[in-house]
Amino acid sequence: MSNNILTQNDIQHVDYKDTELLKQFINPHGGMVSRKRLGLTAKQQRSVEAAIKVARFMGLLPYVQK
Amino acid sequence: MMMTSTNGVTAEKSALLDEELDITAPIEEVSVEPRVYEIGYHIIPAVKEEDIEKTVGEIRKAIESSHPKDDRPSEGAGKTTFIAEGAPSLMKLAYPMSVREGEKYTEYDRGYFGWIKFEAPATIVSTLNDALKSNTNILRFVIWRTVREDTRAKIKAPTLREVKRTDTIKSTPRRAPAEEVAAPVSEEALEKALQDITQE
Repeated sequence: MSNNILTQNDIQHVDYKDTELLKQFINPHGGMVSRKRLGLTAKQQRSVEAAIKVARFMGLLPYVQK
Repeated sequence: MMMTSTNGVTAEKSALLDEELDITAPIEEVSVEPRVYEIGYHIIPAVKEEDIEKTVGEIRKAIESSHPKDDRPSEGAGKTTFIAEGAPSLMKLAYPMSVREGEKYTEYDRGYFGWIKFEAPATIVSTLNDALKSNTNILRFVIWRTVREDTRAKIKAPTLREVKRTDTIKSTPRRAPAEEVAAPVSEEALEKALQDITQE
């Protein structure tokens, strides 16, 4: 069974403001988790990636967690 | 000789391409079609709480007035409509941001984060970008293309994995009576015990 969070919860669009959701896609250091581990589709991974990068730019998520 | 001939061919080809391009020239009309955008912004914490609404009003005005001059509002495509809005609230930033104010840099570790979702033609973005950049009350902003619907995810509570509970169910009743037996202790006995401890 895949552990695809987006498909399980029927999420079509990933919002950059939704930090609680995005936190599930980053590791404790703040880096992004690979698609292999998340089980996302390529399209979903790209949208998550874009959302995380914007959230970091806006100071909602850290670039690096110390 | 070879060089000149090949050059001649490429020149002909490019001329042909140009003609083809001329046929599909009106690209601008496509870009006038309205799109849904969202502006996320941080207002600097130095702004007083009473003046935040004023700054948000400036952003709204910038959105409304950022139409390029060659826009034709008569067609109805160049209209901007507000869809949704998130009121700015003070939040801690994930990392300190520094902004240049005059000649020195000021570092901020918090900001009033808010957002506005609106529908506008794509041509609005560059002018809006310049307008927001010139606003000194805005710490940082982003213009993000999105959809009309609310994109905030409604996640169900994480479901626990099903575990075979036969063992745990057997073990729980054994523990429960032991706790009950221990519970009813009279106050006198308690005081006695306490006194014994304090005397020691």
